[in-house]
Amino acid sequence: MKYDVIVVGAGIAGMTAAIYVKRAGKSVLVLESVIHGGQIINTIGIENWPGDYGVSGADLAGKIYEQLGKLGIEVEYSEVETIEKTSEGFTVKTDDDEYSCGAVILAVGTEPRRLSEKQAADAGKRAVSYCATCDGALYKGKPVVVVGSGNTAKHEMKYLENIASKVYHIHHDEPIPKDAEAVFVAIGRTPNTKFVKDLVDLNSEGYIVAEEDCITSCSGVFVAGDCRTKQVRQLVTAAGDGSVAAEAAIDYLAKK
Amino acid sequence: MKDINEGEFEAEVLNYKGTVLVDFNADWCGPCRMFRPILQAFAKQHTDVKVVGVNIDDNDELAEKYNISTIPCLVVFKDGEEVARKEGVLPEKKILKMVEG
Ligand SMILES: Cc1cc2nc3c(=O)[nH]c(=O)nc-3n(C[C@H](O)[C@H](O)[C@H](O)COP(=O)(O)OP(=O)(O)OC[C@H]3O[C@@H](n4cnc5c(N)ncnc54)[C@H](O)[C@@H]3O)c2cc1C
Repeated sequence: MKYDVIVVGAGIAGMTAAIYVKRAGKSVLVLESVIHGGQIINTIGIENWPGDYGVSGADLAGKIYEQLGKLGIEVEYSEVETIEKTSEGFTVKTDDDEYSCGAVILAVGTEPRRLSEKQAADAGKRAVSYCATCDGALYKGKPVVVVGSGNTAKHEMKYLENIASKVYHIHHDEPIPKDAEAVFVAIGRTPNTKFVKDLVDLNSEGYIVAEEDCITSCSGVFVAGDCRTKQVRQLVTAAGDGSVAAEAAIDYLAKK
Repeated sequence: MKDINEGEFEAEVLNYKGTVLVDFNADWCGPCRMFRPILQAFAKQHTDVKVVGVNIDDNDELAEKYNISTIPCLVVFKDGEEVARKEGVLPEKKILKMVEG
């Protein structure tokens, strides 16, 4: 199948980009490895997304997905494994299919940084969670530990204090307390960009290098959202990038 | 897709000849709410597979017995034996892959 634009990732950035591409009269396919919505789907009570005070991430994702449906935008649930530049454009390979397109928008976001090997071995058979609001309730009245030193770790501890019998706190690479039944990890996030390291320039942390124009080092490849080098990683900036990357891709196709 | 409790689990899942998908979930879990319509659509398309939900707040012993450490968690039973499990929301395609093994 051939599309004008393929968007990789159906988070807020990718879904917004697809809306703009489609409304400009171009064909677009969104490829998503997990579920539309991305990293926000576990969050409740969002207070800084304009127009929908207190909305949950899951409901917000559902509403935007519904909007995609109304605009006739296709979303395919497959993980993109490779993107190759060809003479006509790009070949995008997923775990079970292959597509071609004229331009690519990378909106692959970030994932939680995993425990170090040492700590993972230390955790052994105990449950390891990257989201206290998702899994905290399963450890009612039991001792748990939070790993991490940033704001997210503090937030996770506060949440767990009302549920668990005891909440230990350790930093990255400290030993895990013996009696903790679950390990809640909050040691930052890392971009999902390994599979494009030979296609576009990444910075030392793996973020795709681009200015506010969302144009990457590879002509025809654009970037949107949290996986881009930028100062503020939020829903509105992800959506903003989505529109900018889409316009840049449309412009690129027109000039090609 | 129907919701079952601890008392019904043996009859509905363990003693059932065939494939059952058990979706461990909770009301407060946003991703679980996103998963439900996907499971409902799957159940409609694949009438040979039974799909049931288990609310972990109302059935905490079951959640503990099956070592549920994150939700949503989908567990596949074949003739009463667990054969596969996966955590997180899954697209229909991936559910089918789990069922087909
Ligand atoms: C706990 C938490 C709370 C937050 N609260 C707020 C808040 O209150 N307000 C706010 O504005 N922001 C908040 N944020 C930040 C906000 O969630 C992000 O800035 C925003 O969701 C980023 O969107 P994105 O589309 O760039 O990336 P993501 O949401 O990360 O989406 C990327 C998508 O790409 C998919 N993907 C990755 N690799 C591939 C591949 N190879 N093939 C196919 N698909 C792929 C992923 O599965 C994912 O769905 C919060 C974040 C977290 C973690």
